[in-house]
Amino acid sequence: MKKISSTIIGILIILLFNTPIQAAAPTDQLRRSLDGIIEVLREQGLDSEVRREKIRVLFRERFDFRVMSRRVLARNWKEATPEIQDRFVALFTDLLEATYIGRIEEYSDERVDFVKERIKEKRAIIDTLIVTRSVEIPINYKLTLTGDLWLVYDVVIEEVSLVRSFRSSYSTIVKKEGFEGLLAKMENKVEELNSSDGKKKK
Amino acid sequence: MRKQRFFTVITGIFLILAFILVVVPATALWAHETGTAVSRDAAPLENDDDFDDFDDEDEEFVTIADPLEPINRGIFWFNDKLYFYLIKPVTKVYRIVPERARISVSNFFSNIFTPIRFTNALVQLKFRDAGTELGRLLINSTIGIGGLFDPAKNIYGIKKKNEDFGQTLGHYGVGQGFYLVLPVIGPTSLRDGLGLAADSYYLNPIYTLDLKDRDKYTLVVLDKINALSLDRDTYEAIKKESLDPYLFVRDAYSQNREGKIKK
Repeated sequence: MKKISSTIIGILIILLFNTPIQAAAPTDQLRRSLDGIIEVLREQGLDSEVRREKIRVLFRERFDFRVMSRRVLARNWKEATPEIQDRFVALFTDLLEATYIGRIEEYSDERVDFVKERIKEKRAIIDTLIVTRSVEIPINYKLTLTGDLWLVYDVVIEEVSLVRSFRSSYSTIVKKEGFEGLLAKMENKVEELNSSDGKKKK
Repeated sequence: MRKQRFFTVITGIFLILAFILVVVPATALWAHETGTAVSRDAAPLENDDDFDDFDDEDEEFVTIADPLEPINRGIFWFNDKLYFYLIKPVTKVYRIVPERARISVSNFFSNIFTPIRFTNALVQLKFRDAGTELGRLLINSTIGIGGLFDPAKNIYGIKKKNEDFGQTLGHYGVGQGFYLVLPVIGPTSLRDGLGLAADSYYLNPIYTLDLKDRDKYTLVVLDKINALSLDRDTYEAIKKESLDPYLFVRDAYSQNREGKIKK
Protein backbone atom coordinates (compact mmCIF):
# COMPACT_ATOMS: atom_id res chain seq x y z
CA MET A 1 0.00 0.00 0.00
CA LYS A 2 2.70 2.35 1.07
CA LYS A 3 4.68 1.38 -1.98
CA ILE A 4 1.80 2.16 -4.32
CA SER A 5 1.15 5.56 -2.82
CA SER A 6 4.81 6.49 -2.93
CA THR A 7 4.90 5.38 -6.57
CA ILE A 8 1.91 7.57 -7.31
CA ILE A 9 3.52 10.49 -5.53
CA GLY A 10 6.69 9.79 -7.44
CA ILE A 11 4.84 9.83 -10.76
CA LEU A 12 3.05 13.02 -9.78
CA ILE A 13 6.32 14.68 -8.93
CA ILE A 14 7.79 13.59 -12.24
CA LEU A 15 4.72 14.86 -14.08
CA LEU A 16 4.81 18.15 -12.26
CA PHE A 17 8.44 18.94 -12.66
CA ASN A 18 9.24 17.18 -15.86
CA THR A 19 7.14 19.35 -18.13
CA PRO A 20 9.58 20.08 -20.91
CA ILE A 21 11.04 23.56 -20.61
CA GLN A 22 11.54 24.74 -24.13
CA ALA A 23 13.36 27.89 -25.04
CA ALA A 24 10.05 29.39 -26.03
CA ALA A 25 9.81 31.86 -28.87
CA PRO A 26 10.28 35.49 -27.80
CA THR A 27 6.66 36.33 -28.54
CA ASP A 28 5.42 33.58 -26.22
CA GLN A 29 7.68 34.76 -23.44
CA LEU A 30 6.70 38.38 -23.84
CA ARG A 31 3.02 37.55 -24.16
CA ARG A 32 3.14 35.60 -20.91
CA SER A 33 4.65 38.55 -19.06
CA LEU A 34 2.28 41.13 -20.56
CA ASP A 35 -0.76 38.96 -19.93
CA GLY A 36 0.42 38.50 -16.37
CA ILE A 37 0.80 42.22 -15.80
CA ILE A 38 -2.56 43.06 -17.36
CA GLU A 39 -4.24 40.34 -15.34
CA VAL A 40 -2.88 41.82 -12.12
CA LEU A 41 -3.98 45.30 -13.20
CA ARG A 42 -7.50 44.06 -13.89
CA GLU A 43 -7.77 42.06 -10.70
CA GLN A 44 -10.43 43.56 -8.47
CA GLY A 45 -10.08 44.31 -4.80
CA LEU A 46 -6.36 43.80 -4.61
CA ASP A 47 -4.44 45.67 -1.95
CA SER A 48 -2.47 48.38 -3.71
CA GLU A 49 0.81 47.34 -2.13
CA VAL A 50 0.28 43.71 -3.12
CA ARG A 51 -0.65 44.78 -6.63
CA ARG A 52 2.48 46.88 -6.98
CA GLU A 53 4.65 44.09 -5.72
CA LYS A 54 3.13 41.53 -8.07
CA ILE A 55 3.59 43.81 -11.05
CA ARG A 56 7.10 44.66 -9.97
CA VAL A 57 8.07 40.99 -9.93
CA LEU A 58 6.59 40.33 -13.38
CA PHE A 59 8.12 43.45 -14.80
CA ARG A 60 11.57 42.82 -13.43
CA GLU A 61 11.83 39.29 -14.71
CA ARG A 62 11.14 40.36 -18.28
CA PHE A 63 13.25 43.51 -18.56
CA ASP A 64 17.02 43.68 -18.58
CA PHE A 65 17.69 46.91 -16.73
CA ARG A 66 21.44 46.56 -16.83
CA VAL A 67 21.54 46.42 -20.61
CA MET A 68 19.06 49.29 -20.75
CA SER A 69 21.05 51.39 -18.31
CA ARG A 70 24.25 50.76 -20.22
CA ARG A 71 22.60 51.75 -23.47
CA VAL A 72 20.95 54.81 -21.95
CA LEU A 73 24.13 56.13 -20.38
CA ALA A 74 26.37 55.07 -23.26
CA ARG A 75 29.64 56.96 -22.88
CA ASN A 76 28.79 58.03 -19.34
CA TRP A 77 28.35 54.38 -18.38
CA LYS A 78 31.90 53.54 -19.29
CA GLU A 79 33.19 56.44 -17.24
CA ALA A 80 31.17 55.59 -14.13
CA THR A 81 32.48 53.41 -11.31
CA PRO A 82 30.72 50.08 -10.69
CA GLU A 83 29.09 51.51 -7.54
CA ILE A 84 27.65 54.42 -9.43
CA GLN A 85 26.54 52.10 -12.20
CA ASP A 86 24.64 50.01 -9.65
CA ARG A 87 23.05 53.09 -8.16
CA PHE A 88 21.95 54.20 -11.59
CA VAL A 89 20.51 50.80 -12.48
CA ALA A 90 18.46 50.76 -9.27
CA LEU A 91 17.08 54.26 -9.82
CA PHE A 92 16.46 53.71 -13.50
CA THR A 93 14.59 50.50 -12.75
CA ASP A 94 12.25 52.35 -10.39
CA LEU A 95 11.67 55.18 -12.81
CA LEU A 96 11.03 52.97 -15.79
CA GLU A 97 8.71 50.80 -13.79
CA ALA A 98 6.58 53.83 -12.94
CA THR A 99 6.66 55.12 -16.52
CA TYR A 100 5.93 51.87 -18.26
CA ILE A 101 3.35 50.55 -15.82
CA GLY A 102 1.61 53.91 -15.81
CA ARG A 103 1.17 53.70 -19.56
CA ILE A 104 0.12 50.05 -19.56
CA GLU A 105 -2.35 50.77 -16.75
CA GLU A 106 -4.15 53.39 -18.86
CA TYR A 107 -4.71 50.82 -21.56
CA SER A 108 -5.22 47.70 -19.46
CA ASP A 109 -8.81 47.34 -20.69
CA GLU A 110 -7.79 47.30 -24.33
CA ARG A 111 -6.80 44.53 -26.64
CA VAL A 112 -3.13 43.89 -27.36
CA ASP A 113 -2.38 42.37 -30.75
CA PHE A 114 0.91 40.69 -31.46
CA VAL A 115 1.53 41.71 -35.03
CA LYS A 116 4.94 40.48 -36.02
CA GLU A 117 8.10 38.89 -34.69
CA ARG A 118 11.54 39.34 -36.19
CA ILE A 119 14.55 37.45 -34.92
CA LYS A 120 18.13 38.01 -35.88
CA GLU A 121 20.61 35.91 -33.94
CA LYS A 122 20.26 36.96 -30.31
CA ARG A 123 17.99 39.93 -30.93
CA ALA A 124 14.30 40.03 -31.50
CA ILE A 125 11.81 42.76 -32.30
CA ILE A 126 8.18 42.15 -31.52
CA ASP A 127 5.59 44.50 -32.94
CA THR A 128 2.43 44.86 -30.89
CA LEU A 129 -0.59 47.05 -31.34
CA ILE A 130 -2.83 48.35 -28.61
CA VAL A 131 -6.26 48.61 -30.16
CA THR A 132 -8.73 51.01 -28.60
CA ARG A 133 -12.01 52.12 -30.09
CA SER A 134 -10.50 55.33 -31.39
CA VAL A 135 -6.83 54.64 -31.99
CA GLU A 136 -4.26 51.95 -32.57
CA ILE A 137 -0.97 52.48 -30.80
CA PRO A 138 2.05 50.60 -32.10
CA ILE A 139 4.35 49.43 -29.33
CA ASN A 140 7.44 47.50 -30.35
CA TYR A 141 9.56 45.56 -27.90
CA LYS A 142 13.24 44.93 -28.51
CA LEU A 143 14.61 41.85 -26.81
CA THR A 144 17.91 40.15 -26.35
CA LEU A 145 18.52 36.48 -25.58
CA THR A 146 20.26 35.68 -22.29
CA GLY A 147 20.43 31.97 -21.56
CA ASP A 148 17.01 30.83 -22.67
CA LEU A 149 15.28 34.03 -21.62
CA TRP A 150 14.29 36.77 -24.01
CA LEU A 151 14.63 40.04 -22.11
CA VAL A 152 13.34 43.43 -23.14
CA TYR A 153 16.00 46.10 -23.51
CA ASP A 154 13.99 48.78 -25.30
CA VAL A 155 10.36 49.73 -25.84
CA VAL A 156 9.42 51.76 -28.89
CA ILE A 157 6.05 53.51 -28.59
CA GLU A 158 4.83 55.20 -31.76
CA GLU A 159 8.35 55.29 -33.19
CA VAL A 160 9.71 56.77 -29.97
CA SER A 161 12.38 54.59 -28.41
CA LEU A 162 12.62 54.84 -24.63
CA VAL A 163 16.36 54.18 -24.68
CA ARG A 164 16.97 56.86 -27.27
CA SER A 165 14.82 59.41 -25.47
CA PHE A 166 16.45 58.73 -22.14
CA ARG A 167 19.92 58.77 -23.66
CA SER A 168 19.31 62.10 -25.24
CA SER A 169 17.77 63.83 -22.24
CA TYR A 170 20.07 62.22 -19.64
CA SER A 171 23.20 63.15 -21.53
CA THR A 172 21.96 66.73 -21.68
CA ILE A 173 21.38 66.71 -17.91
CA VAL A 174 24.79 65.16 -17.23
CA LYS A 175 26.43 67.79 -19.39
CA LYS A 176 24.72 70.58 -17.48
CA GLU A 177 24.67 69.28 -13.93
CA GLY A 178 27.14 66.41 -13.83
CA PHE A 179 26.47 62.78 -13.06
CA GLU A 180 25.67 63.47 -9.42
CA GLY A 181 23.11 66.02 -10.55
CA LEU A 182 21.41 63.41 -12.70
CA LEU A 183 21.32 60.86 -9.88
CA ALA A 184 19.92 63.46 -7.47
CA LYS A 185 17.19 64.36 -9.96
CA MET A 186 16.32 60.71 -10.41
CA GLU A 187 16.15 60.16 -6.66
CA ASN A 188 13.77 63.07 -6.24
CA LYS A 189 11.60 61.83 -9.06
CA VAL A 190 11.35 58.31 -7.68
CA GLU A 191 10.38 59.69 -4.29
CA GLU A 192 7.80 61.98 -5.85
CA LEU A 193 6.26 59.18 -7.90
CA ASN A 194 6.10 56.80 -4.96
CA SER A 195 4.42 59.32 -2.68
CA SER A 196 1.85 60.42 -5.28
CA ASP A 197 1.02 56.77 -6.00
CA GLY A 198 0.41 56.14 -2.35
CA LYS A 199 -1.94 59.10 -2.14
CA LYS A 200 -4.19 58.47 -5.11
CA LYS A 201 -5.18 54.96 -4.06
CA LYS A 202 -8.77 53.91 -4.53
CA MET B 1 -26.37 84.59 -44.11
CA ARG B 2 -23.73 82.03 -45.01
CA LYS B 3 -22.78 81.70 -41.39
CA GLN B 4 -26.30 80.78 -40.48
CA ARG B 5 -26.44 78.15 -43.16
CA PHE B 6 -23.17 76.76 -41.96
CA PHE B 7 -24.45 76.36 -38.44
CA THR B 8 -27.60 74.74 -39.75
CA VAL B 9 -25.41 72.20 -41.52
CA ILE B 10 -23.37 71.52 -38.41
CA THR B 11 -26.46 71.25 -36.25
CA GLY B 12 -27.92 68.91 -38.84
CA ILE B 13 -24.88 66.72 -38.73
CA PHE B 14 -25.04 66.48 -34.98
CA LEU B 15 -28.76 65.73 -35.03
CA ILE B 16 -28.14 62.92 -37.50
CA LEU B 17 -25.30 61.74 -35.33
CA ALA B 18 -27.46 61.79 -32.21
CA PHE B 19 -30.23 59.96 -34.06
CA ILE B 20 -27.87 57.26 -35.24
CA LEU B 21 -26.40 56.82 -31.80
CA VAL B 22 -29.76 56.50 -30.15
CA VAL B 23 -31.55 54.37 -32.71
CA VAL B 24 -28.85 52.02 -33.89
CA PRO B 25 -26.37 51.79 -31.08
CA ALA B 26 -25.12 48.33 -31.84
CA THR B 27 -24.92 48.36 -35.57
CA ALA B 28 -22.57 46.22 -37.52
CA LEU B 29 -20.16 49.10 -37.57
CA TRP B 30 -19.50 48.82 -33.88
CA ALA B 31 -19.61 45.06 -33.82
CA HIS B 32 -16.73 45.13 -36.21
CA GLU B 33 -14.79 47.50 -34.06
CA THR B 34 -14.66 45.12 -31.16
CA GLY B 35 -14.23 42.01 -33.29
CA THR B 36 -10.85 40.36 -33.43
CA ALA B 37 -10.85 39.69 -37.14
CA VAL B 38 -9.02 42.84 -38.14
CA SER B 39 -7.29 42.32 -41.41
CA ARG B 40 -3.78 43.57 -41.59
CA ASP B 41 -1.70 45.32 -44.12
CA ALA B 42 0.88 43.11 -45.70
CA ALA B 43 4.03 43.08 -43.57
CA PRO B 44 6.48 45.68 -44.84
CA LEU B 45 9.85 44.55 -46.08
CA GLU B 46 12.22 43.39 -43.38
CA ASN B 47 14.27 46.26 -42.20
CA ASP B 48 17.61 45.29 -40.73
CA ASP B 49 18.21 48.82 -39.53
CA ASP B 50 15.69 48.24 -36.79
CA PHE B 51 18.07 45.87 -35.06
CA ASP B 52 20.46 47.79 -32.84
CA ASP B 53 24.03 46.68 -33.19
CA PHE B 54 24.94 47.68 -29.62
CA ASP B 55 28.03 49.38 -31.04
CA ASP B 56 26.29 52.72 -31.04
CA GLU B 57 27.10 53.53 -27.46
CA ASP B 58 29.42 56.35 -28.34
CA GLU B 59 26.66 58.16 -30.13
CA GLU B 60 24.64 60.67 -28.23
CA PHE B 61 21.46 60.44 -30.26
CA VAL B 62 20.93 64.16 -30.25
CA THR B 63 18.06 64.05 -32.64
CA ILE B 64 17.23 67.66 -33.37
CA ALA B 65 19.05 70.97 -33.21
CA ASP B 66 17.59 73.48 -30.78
CA PRO B 67 19.28 76.84 -31.14
CA LEU B 68 16.18 78.61 -29.84
CA GLU B 69 16.01 76.58 -26.65
CA PRO B 70 15.51 79.50 -24.22
CA ILE B 71 12.62 80.89 -26.29
CA ASN B 72 11.21 77.44 -26.91
CA ARG B 73 11.29 76.69 -23.22
CA GLY B 74 9.41 79.90 -22.57
CA ILE B 75 6.67 78.98 -25.01
CA PHE B 76 6.64 75.43 -23.68
CA TRP B 77 6.02 76.87 -20.21
CA PHE B 78 3.23 79.06 -21.59
CA ASN B 79 1.61 76.12 -23.40
CA ASP B 80 1.88 74.04 -20.25
CA LYS B 81 -0.07 76.64 -18.26
CA LEU B 82 -2.57 77.05 -21.07
CA TYR B 83 -3.05 73.30 -21.08
CA PHE B 84 -3.62 72.89 -17.37
CA TYR B 85 -5.69 76.03 -16.77
CA LEU B 86 -7.79 76.22 -19.90
CA ILE B 87 -7.59 73.38 -22.38
CA LYS B 88 -7.66 70.55 -19.87
CA PRO B 89 -10.71 71.79 -17.93
CA VAL B 90 -12.57 72.38 -21.19
CA THR B 91 -11.66 68.88 -22.36
CA LYS B 92 -12.86 67.41 -19.08
CA VAL B 93 -16.25 69.02 -19.51
CA TYR B 94 -16.35 67.98 -23.15
CA ARG B 95 -15.84 64.36 -22.10
CA ILE B 96 -19.50 64.39 -21.02
CA VAL B 97 -20.21 63.70 -24.69
CA PRO B 98 -20.40 59.91 -25.05
CA GLU B 99 -17.22 58.36 -26.35
CA ARG B 100 -18.93 56.92 -29.41
CA ALA B 101 -20.04 60.36 -30.48
CA ARG B 102 -16.55 61.71 -29.94
CA ILE B 103 -15.10 58.91 -32.04
CA SER B 104 -17.54 59.86 -34.77
CA VAL B 105 -16.48 63.49 -34.55
CA SER B 106 -12.90 62.31 -34.87
CA ASN B 107 -13.82 60.15 -37.89
CA PHE B 108 -15.60 63.10 -39.44
CA PHE B 109 -12.56 65.37 -39.21
CA SER B 110 -10.26 62.62 -40.35
CA ASN B 111 -12.45 62.14 -43.39
CA ILE B 112 -12.53 65.79 -44.39
CA PHE B 113 -8.73 65.96 -44.02
CA THR B 114 -8.34 63.32 -46.73
CA PRO B 115 -7.06 65.89 -49.29
CA ILE B 116 -3.97 66.45 -47.12
CA ARG B 117 -3.10 62.76 -46.93
CA PHE B 118 -4.08 61.99 -50.52
CA THR B 119 -2.11 64.84 -52.09
CA ASN B 120 0.99 64.23 -50.03
CA ALA B 121 0.95 60.50 -50.77
CA LEU B 122 0.63 61.39 -54.44
CA VAL B 123 3.50 63.87 -54.36
CA GLN B 124 5.66 61.19 -52.72
CA LEU B 125 4.66 58.87 -55.58
CA LYS B 126 3.04 56.49 -53.11
CA PHE B 127 0.26 55.68 -55.53
CA ARG B 128 -1.07 52.74 -53.57
CA ASP B 129 -1.43 54.89 -50.43
CA ALA B 130 -3.09 57.65 -52.44
CA GLY B 131 -5.50 55.07 -53.82
CA THR B 132 -6.16 53.83 -50.30
CA GLU B 133 -7.04 57.33 -49.18
CA LEU B 134 -9.34 57.88 -52.14
CA GLY B 135 -11.05 54.55 -51.51
CA ARG B 136 -11.47 55.38 -47.85
CA LEU B 137 -12.98 58.75 -48.69
CA LEU B 138 -15.53 57.14 -51.00
CA ILE B 139 -16.48 54.36 -48.59
CA ASN B 140 -16.58 56.49 -45.46
CA SER B 141 -18.44 59.39 -47.05
CA THR B 142 -21.18 57.05 -48.27
CA ILE B 143 -21.53 53.91 -46.17
CA GLY B 144 -19.86 55.75 -43.31
CA ILE B 145 -22.56 58.45 -43.43
CA GLY B 146 -20.59 61.54 -44.28
CA GLY B 147 -17.47 60.26 -42.56
CA LEU B 148 -19.04 59.78 -39.14
CA PHE B 149 -18.03 56.14 -39.18
CA ASP B 150 -15.01 54.31 -40.48
CA PRO B 151 -16.35 51.25 -42.27
CA ALA B 152 -13.34 51.37 -44.58
CA LYS B 153 -11.23 50.21 -41.66
CA ASN B 154 -13.78 48.38 -39.56
CA ILE B 155 -15.36 46.36 -42.35
CA TYR B 156 -12.85 46.33 -45.17
CA GLY B 157 -9.69 46.64 -43.12
CA ILE B 158 -8.38 49.59 -45.12
CA LYS B 159 -6.36 51.75 -42.78
CA LYS B 160 -5.58 55.42 -42.96
CA LYS B 161 -2.20 56.44 -44.36
CA ASN B 162 -0.96 59.43 -42.45
CA GLU B 163 0.88 61.85 -44.68
CA ASP B 164 1.49 65.57 -44.52
CA PHE B 165 3.72 68.07 -46.25
CA GLY B 166 6.38 67.94 -43.53
CA GLN B 167 6.70 64.22 -44.24
CA THR B 168 6.78 64.86 -47.97
CA LEU B 169 9.68 67.28 -47.52
CA GLY B 170 11.42 64.75 -45.29
CA HIS B 171 10.80 62.03 -47.85
CA TYR B 172 12.72 64.10 -50.39
CA GLY B 173 15.61 64.61 -48.02
CA VAL B 174 14.79 67.90 -46.32
CA GLY B 175 16.07 67.82 -42.74
CA GLN B 176 14.10 68.95 -39.72
CA GLY B 177 15.96 72.22 -39.57
CA PHE B 178 15.60 73.02 -35.91
CA TYR B 179 13.12 72.49 -33.12
CA LEU B 180 10.34 75.00 -32.66
CA VAL B 181 7.67 75.29 -30.02
CA LEU B 182 4.76 77.34 -31.24
CA PRO B 183 2.23 78.99 -28.94
CA VAL B 184 -0.89 76.81 -28.63
CA ILE B 185 0.16 74.54 -31.52
CA GLY B 186 3.09 73.07 -29.61
CA PRO B 187 6.18 71.17 -30.74
CA THR B 188 7.20 71.31 -34.37
CA SER B 189 10.29 71.91 -36.44
CA LEU B 190 11.16 74.45 -39.06
CA ARG B 191 10.38 71.90 -41.76
CA ASP B 192 7.18 70.57 -40.23
CA GLY B 193 5.98 74.04 -39.29
CA LEU B 194 6.29 75.14 -42.91
CA GLY B 195 4.66 71.87 -43.93
CA LEU B 196 1.76 72.50 -41.61
CA ALA B 197 1.31 76.01 -42.99
CA ALA B 198 1.31 74.70 -46.56
CA ASP B 199 -1.14 71.90 -45.76
CA SER B 200 -3.45 74.30 -43.95
CA TYR B 201 -3.36 76.91 -46.65
CA TYR B 202 -3.73 74.71 -49.70
CA LEU B 203 -5.24 71.40 -48.61
CA ASN B 204 -7.12 71.67 -45.34
CA PRO B 205 -10.83 72.09 -46.21
CA ILE B 206 -11.42 74.06 -43.02
CA TYR B 207 -9.23 76.81 -44.46
CA THR B 208 -9.70 76.31 -48.19
CA LEU B 209 -13.48 76.33 -48.07
CA ASP B 210 -14.91 79.80 -47.96
CA LEU B 211 -15.94 79.75 -44.31
CA LYS B 212 -16.42 82.63 -41.90
CA ASP B 213 -13.44 83.10 -39.59
CA ARG B 214 -15.48 82.22 -36.55
CA ASP B 215 -16.64 78.97 -38.07
CA LYS B 216 -13.10 78.08 -39.01
CA TYR B 217 -11.89 78.57 -35.47
CA THR B 218 -14.86 76.73 -34.04
CA LEU B 219 -14.04 73.74 -36.22
CA VAL B 220 -10.34 73.85 -35.44
CA VAL B 221 -11.00 74.06 -31.71
CA LEU B 222 -13.61 71.30 -31.86
CA ASP B 223 -11.19 69.05 -33.72
CA LYS B 224 -8.40 69.62 -31.21
CA ILE B 225 -10.50 69.36 -28.06
CA ASN B 226 -12.19 66.26 -29.41
CA ALA B 227 -8.86 64.61 -30.22
CA LEU B 228 -7.54 65.50 -26.78
CA SER B 229 -10.64 64.07 -25.12
CA LEU B 230 -9.90 60.70 -26.70
CA ASP B 231 -6.29 60.73 -25.57
CA ARG B 232 -5.49 59.14 -22.20
CA ASP B 233 -3.69 62.08 -20.68
CA THR B 234 -0.36 61.33 -22.31
CA TYR B 235 0.98 64.79 -21.55
CA GLU B 236 0.17 64.50 -17.84
CA ALA B 237 2.07 61.23 -17.71
CA ILE B 238 5.09 62.74 -19.43
CA LYS B 239 4.94 65.74 -17.15
CA LYS B 240 4.78 63.56 -14.09
CA GLU B 241 7.38 61.01 -15.03
CA SER B 242 10.20 62.69 -16.87
CA LEU B 243 13.11 64.48 -15.28
CA ASP B 244 12.80 67.25 -17.84
CA PRO B 245 9.51 67.18 -19.78
CA TYR B 246 10.80 69.74 -22.27
CA LEU B 247 13.67 67.49 -23.31
CA PHE B 248 11.47 64.41 -23.42
CA VAL B 249 8.84 66.04 -25.62
CA ARG B 250 11.47 67.49 -27.93
CA ASP B 251 13.12 64.17 -28.43
CA ALA B 252 9.92 62.18 -28.72
CA TYR B 253 8.62 64.64 -31.29
CA SER B 254 11.64 64.35 -33.50
CA GLN B 255 11.84 60.54 -33.24
CA ASN B 256 8.16 60.19 -34.01
CA ARG B 257 8.42 62.39 -37.10
CA GLU B 258 11.52 60.69 -38.43
CA GLY B 259 9.88 57.32 -37.88
CA LYS B 260 6.81 58.38 -39.82
CA ILE B 261 8.89 59.65 -42.72
CA LYS B 262 10.69 56.30 -43.04
CA LYS B 263 7.36 54.54 -43.48
